[in-house]
Amino acid sequence: MNNIRLENVCKSFGETVALDNASVEANPGEIHAIIGENGSGKSTLAKIMSGIVLADSGDVNVLGVTPYSPLQAMSAGVMTVHQEVLTADSLTVYENIFPSYEGVFKNSLTTVEKIEKSSELLSKLADKNISPLQPVKSLSLSDKQWIVIARALVKKPKALIFDESSAALDLNGTERLHSEMINLKNSGSCVILVTHRISELVKITDTATVLRDGKSVDRLEKKQINEDRILKLMSDPTLRKQKSSKLGKKKFVDQPSISFKNCKISADSSEFHFDARKGQVIGIAGLEGAGQEKFITALAGINMLHAGKMSYRLSEDDEFVISSLKKATDLGIVYVSGDRKKEGIFPNLSILENFSLGLADTFNKFGILKSDSTLKILENERDRLRIKWQTPLNPITTLSGGNQQKVLIARAFASDPSVIVLNDPARGVDIATKQMLYKNLRSFADRGGIVIYLSSELEEFYHFTDRVDIFFNQTIYASLTAEECDENKLLSSMFGLNEAQKHSNKGLTL
Amino acid sequence: MFSHEKYKHLYIPAALVTILLIICAFRAPQLFTSVGLAGAILVSAPLILASIAITPIAMAGRGGVDLSIGPAIGFVNVTIVTFLVGLELQSPLAVFSYAIVVGCIWQLLLAAMIVFLRVSPILVSLSGFLILQGVNLTILPRPGGFAPDWLSDWGYGTELNSPVLYVLLSAFLLWYLFCRTPLYESMRLLGSDERTAYTSGVKINLVRFSAHIVAGIYTGLAAVCLTGLIGSGDPSQGNTYTLQAITALVLGGTSLAGGNGGALGSILGALAMFLIFVVLSSFNFGAISGFMTELTYGLILVISLLLTIFTGRIVWEKNS
Repeated sequence: MNNIRLENVCKSFGETVALDNASVEANPGEIHAIIGENGSGKSTLAKIMSGIVLADSGDVNVLGVTPYSPLQAMSAGVMTVHQEVLTADSLTVYENIFPSYEGVFKNSLTTVEKIEKSSELLSKLADKNISPLQPVKSLSLSDKQWIVIARALVKKPKALIFDESSAALDLNGTERLHSEMINLKNSGSCVILVTHRISELVKITDTATVLRDGKSVDRLEKKQINEDRILKLMSDPTLRKQKSSKLGKKKFVDQPSISFKNCKISADSSEFHFDARKGQVIGIAGLEGAGQEKFITALAGINMLHAGKMSYRLSEDDEFVISSLKKATDLGIVYVSGDRKKEGIFPNLSILENFSLGLADTFNKFGILKSDSTLKILENERDRLRIKWQTPLNPITTLSGGNQQKVLIARAFASDPSVIVLNDPARGVDIATKQMLYKNLRSFADRGGIVIYLSSELEEFYHFTDRVDIFFNQTIYASLTAEECDENKLLSSMFGLNEAQKHSNKGLTL
Repeated sequence: MFSHEKYKHLYIPAALVTILLIICAFRAPQLFTSVGLAGAILVSAPLILASIAITPIAMAGRGGVDLSIGPAIGFVNVTIVTFLVGLELQSPLAVFSYAIVVGCIWQLLLAAMIVFLRVSPILVSLSGFLILQGVNLTILPRPGGFAPDWLSDWGYGTELNSPVLYVLLSAFLLWYLFCRTPLYESMRLLGSDERTAYTSGVKINLVRFSAHIVAGIYTGLAAVCLTGLIGSGDPSQGNTYTLQAITALVLGGTSLAGGNGGALGSILGALAMFLIFVVLSSFNFGAISGFMTELTYGLILVISLLLTIFTGRIVWEKNS
């Protein structure tokens, strides 16, 4: 039995139904995608296949076994790259790639062999040298992602499950990952791909299962897989609505409200200017490590740029320098991170508590938080953003990733900010949520706010941003207006190949 | 081909021991005679073994600090002089196997509570501390009894070539062998990130039990050495080893958060504590010398922790 076959699988967590009669079938030698919105049960399905979660009912047959533990799934030849980047941070790279589980007293490989194999595999995957002796905690998220992928590949699995595994990778990295998947498929393995990136799956998958609200709604063959069809199947027909909202044409004071002058991200990078006016939505793009993350965190006051003057202007004479996180917060600049686990949620606290934290200054009586009034606001936001929960008093970790992100976005909106800085907020968020987010951000901008939006997914910028600033080599390389913005220009700018749109280095219209 | 990363936690304790040895060379040269060394080995052996005992538990994560180590050593000690001697089971084989088996059973009990009832390790071991403290005093209300003759003879500590030295050497060898097993690697993985370990197919419960069994073996060895050192039973002497062993563990660079560390660090930590004691007793503090020792332990612990954080930060900044 070399295939994966799940039939009429049901699974609930408490009262939340994650899977409701879902069926999946994937054969050796094919890449099978599992697609669906957030909370549609994709990850649960992947976890059932890898033995982490047990199904309540239904037939589970993964390479001939019904796995009840990760170890059992692995012994059958199933490896999983989980949505969360699971690494043991205090251990070295090679120890993370070869977590020894085979036996108690005997190792199948010597340390030297492990080190050599790790370094060989990583240089192929990550396309750069990552020392296998380095501790994992010193690595970037994308490098950690490679380690987790290497850990799965090194076992030469008969079935490999990728649960949103390209989220932390840049475009080149995703390409390399795809070629690995195709190699695996050609060697007769079965590859399961759980992803939000529709463009990715249209390109490489052979078959696909579409999930909606825990049910498998359709199984698609290669020629049936196209963006429109998938979108149609994924979204609840009752909720579907217009694809893009009109750009805001309202103009506020013509003075730039945020203006960065002579900025340098590191000592040897070139200078750039940046400005943003009230009512604007500015997109920030770039290949990983091109400087955009450092820029956006500096904008939020979290760290400082190497050089330059970053100021925020309330009116013509009221100019403030963003010099610290405190200053940024006082000015009404809020930051929403895409790395929920690290920079967003407090996993031990409830949904309500996670939401109220940013509002503690406004909604308190003699220093005591008024939870009933914050609850009311939270419930309003819930209706607006369509957050799904049992009760807001449950721990935030009972929500799916996308819903957690919605709570964080609700928190940002509720603090009545003047600028919202978003760092890849749509990572792991479904399309309906994204569109709702765009709509809300646009109406926020129309009310006089400024939105700075960093994304690693190109399609996020279309129909939504007034301007996209593209980072290349630690500086703003190019700026594209809404009309100019298309995939071609974005990509060529990200790779430093777009001479036509090259940023004048004098800022735009000052 | 070794990663220096794995041994980074040893820098500070190794430096500390070196500095203390240099001070000892001036203040207490008698330490470097064969009688001095023999005494040193005898006196420091129980602490060294006790601090090795709690190392695997700390490394296996979940904030596992075995507070019960002291009374557990005490329990083995008092039962050797009452129960075992009463049964005329005095041969070295009987004493060693008894001590190790009792140590392991105790650790298995703790592990079962932690693994199956999911009680926080610190609560389990704290209850263990309190229970055993009471049990020890019930068995032997005041110090007394006699250790088997061969064991009491250890207490003279005049010869370098002594059984205590061999116990220590075999304990080190055992740890060295343990380090070479995949089990040890799984234990570090478990301590560093339990979910990563689980999803990578590590049998986490088995590994946690194994860490406790290793701890049990060293608990038994520590108790035998303590019995040899004092030549009798003492219901409260063992208790002092809890705080001392944890201090040695932390001084040795083992992270209480799990994952990082090792027995070599704990050994260095225990040696440093012994040397601090030697250095301080070369000064005359009279009646307050005991307090001075504790105070110095505390100060050195804080300073070395600060140094560890500080050096870690420098390395980190250099990398980024």
